[in-house]
Amino acid sequence: MINANLKNSYAADERVLNNTYKQMFVYGMMIVLALFTFFANDYMILIASQMGILLIAVVGINILTGYTGLVSLGHGAFVAIGAYSVTIFANLAEGIIPAGVMPFFAMPFAVALAALIGVLVGLPSLRVKGLYLAVATLAANFIVIFLIEEDLFQPWTGGMVGLTTHAPNFFGWVLDTKREMFGMIAVIGFLALLAAQNLIRTRIGRAFIAIRDRDYSAEILGISLLRYKLTSFALSAAYCGLAGALLAYFFARILPEQFELTLSLNLVAALIIGGMGRSMGPVFGVIIVVLVPELIKVLFSSAVGGSASAAQFRAPLQEIAFGLLLVLFLLKEPLGINQIVDRILRAANRWPFARG
Amino acid sequence: MGQFVQFAINGVMAGAIYALIAVGIVSVYKATKVVNFAHGYLIMFGAYFYFTFSVIIPNQPWAPEWLLSWQPDWLVAQKADLPMFSPMGAVLDWVSNLPRIVLGLTGALIANAIVGRIIERVLMRPLMGQSVFAMIMVTVGLISIMSGTASLIWTADAANVPFLSPSAPVKFEAFGTTIFLLGTDLVNMVLALLMFAAIVAFVKFTKGGIAIRATAEDQSTAYSMGISVPKVFSRAWVLASTTGAIAGAILATRNGISPSLGLFGFSVLAIVLMGGLDSYVGVLIAAMTVGVLEAMTQWKLGGSWAEIVPYVAVLIVLIWRPHGLMGQKEVERI
Repeated sequence: MINANLKNSYAADERVLNNTYKQMFVYGMMIVLALFTFFANDYMILIASQMGILLIAVVGINILTGYTGLVSLGHGAFVAIGAYSVTIFANLAEGIIPAGVMPFFAMPFAVALAALIGVLVGLPSLRVKGLYLAVATLAANFIVIFLIEEDLFQPWTGGMVGLTTHAPNFFGWVLDTKREMFGMIAVIGFLALLAAQNLIRTRIGRAFIAIRDRDYSAEILGISLLRYKLTSFALSAAYCGLAGALLAYFFARILPEQFELTLSLNLVAALIIGGMGRSMGPVFGVIIVVLVPELIKVLFSSAVGGSASAAQFRAPLQEIAFGLLLVLFLLKEPLGINQIVDRILRAANRWPFARG
Repeated sequence: MGQFVQFAINGVMAGAIYALIAVGIVSVYKATKVVNFAHGYLIMFGAYFYFTFSVIIPNQPWAPEWLLSWQPDWLVAQKADLPMFSPMGAVLDWVSNLPRIVLGLTGALIANAIVGRIIERVLMRPLMGQSVFAMIMVTVGLISIMSGTASLIWTADAANVPFLSPSAPVKFEAFGTTIFLLGTDLVNMVLALLMFAAIVAFVKFTKGGIAIRATAEDQSTAYSMGISVPKVFSRAWVLASTTGAIAGAILATRNGISPSLGLFGFSVLAIVLMGGLDSYVGVLIAAMTVGVLEAMTQWKLGGSWAEIVPYVAVLIVLIWRPHGLMGQKEVERI
């Protein structure tokens, strides 16, 4: 049913949450998340934490691919940089910085480093576009993972066997349970999502969208491609670095193979499934990308029981399901779940006067 | 210096195989404007099909005995008088493997052609006219589907597959050191280069090739000239998957069969972009360069550094020449 969406001032129109539905949704989600943190069981907390971490990274990709129109297949590398730098920083600065304030230095450092390397990787984006950029970022991903695994840097990165990570310690409050960790991930993820939503109504965000729609036209309008493409890369890499830092805090150990191409493809797939260039897209996408393999796992173990010979078919099935999801969405619903939700909401909004 | 020659020759042999793989990506791109990220996995399928038809099937109890090991009387007679490890012995071993090699190659070619055809028909054709991004991402989704399917079907441990040609060692002196090569590697190189040349000639001179080029130039004009564009698409995919099958068979004999063969496709993708997506010559140059550079890196820095050579090379080339060494610059209108 259409109801009041009247705005009396430009300020009201320009707000981040510019109508009552959005406000109600956001405040409602805050309450739901708070309740979830306290009352969900451990398994749900584990799944939700993985979703939260992935969500932050996908929001980053959304800024780059969804809003700026630059395709990247290498953002797993930035997650790796975030995860490794937060751990290595904590290892090296142990004793210099008191443990109670370490996350306040380590996390910004990780985010900044990821952003810096993001700018570096983004440099080819000024000369190449589309596919060439996708392969350039893919190449960057392989190189970063290779350097992490390389023997030369093994004293710091641990090489193939990875690193043991630290639990974050805020003024003596050590987040050593998954539930506490989820609280932190939820708060940061929520803020990250709001920040991205805010970003696209600013000058920078509008410049991104102009570049996405036609970069030459944007340049003619006075938007500096150099500046904004690199900003976009830096921002998305920073988001991924933040996700990496949280990932390092969440898991007891990080391994280089966690950040290989599969992760990069997962991130892009989540964005496509959810809906590119929409703020809720990453949320829907991440829910699907995390839940479907989990669902297959549950169904599969209930179907075949604990037989080990059948268990080896589980991972391939998950892989196939993931690929099929991506392909089906591209073929049938290229704008993602967000489009489906939009259609439902629109129908609800116009009911009973019109459908669709 | 002798070592240098040895590694340079190794590099050229690797480069020829890179070129053969790259030709599949270029052909699909030329006809359909899709860059196939899953080409490495097509190659992996080719390798597994070769394994199926040349190892699994001949080892079945119902398979005739001559299929596994062909031992006609004249062969046994000749073998009996040979000393150990003679080159002739290698040739004779190859002859007795010949039936299953032929079966393996034909089987791999046909099966892979069918796979390529299915991919084109089911996934690519509905996307005709859609954005390039969607098509590329479909091939990315295809990566997961294909690697998952392969590990579902071929769960058995991959055994050794028969070499495509006699693997007699070839030795000669150069600059005071002995250069040591395997006969089969040389034959593989020649085979790869011949196939490369054949495909270039096909695209350049035959009617079907001209149709591919016309479609690449402008789809709607090609349509109005009476070219069946969907047919061109499927022809290009079959071309890519059959060359992929041969490349897969060669790689299976060189490096063994494993799911990591799929990753090989990404380094070849880097090579293709380095050479220029629509230029066969550029891709050949890039493949040879990367092959030699890899061999040199292996020589000077060790094997593990060699695996990132294509990626570093593509980044450098893309910054210097955004459309690859010999690629055509796209003209954009606002």
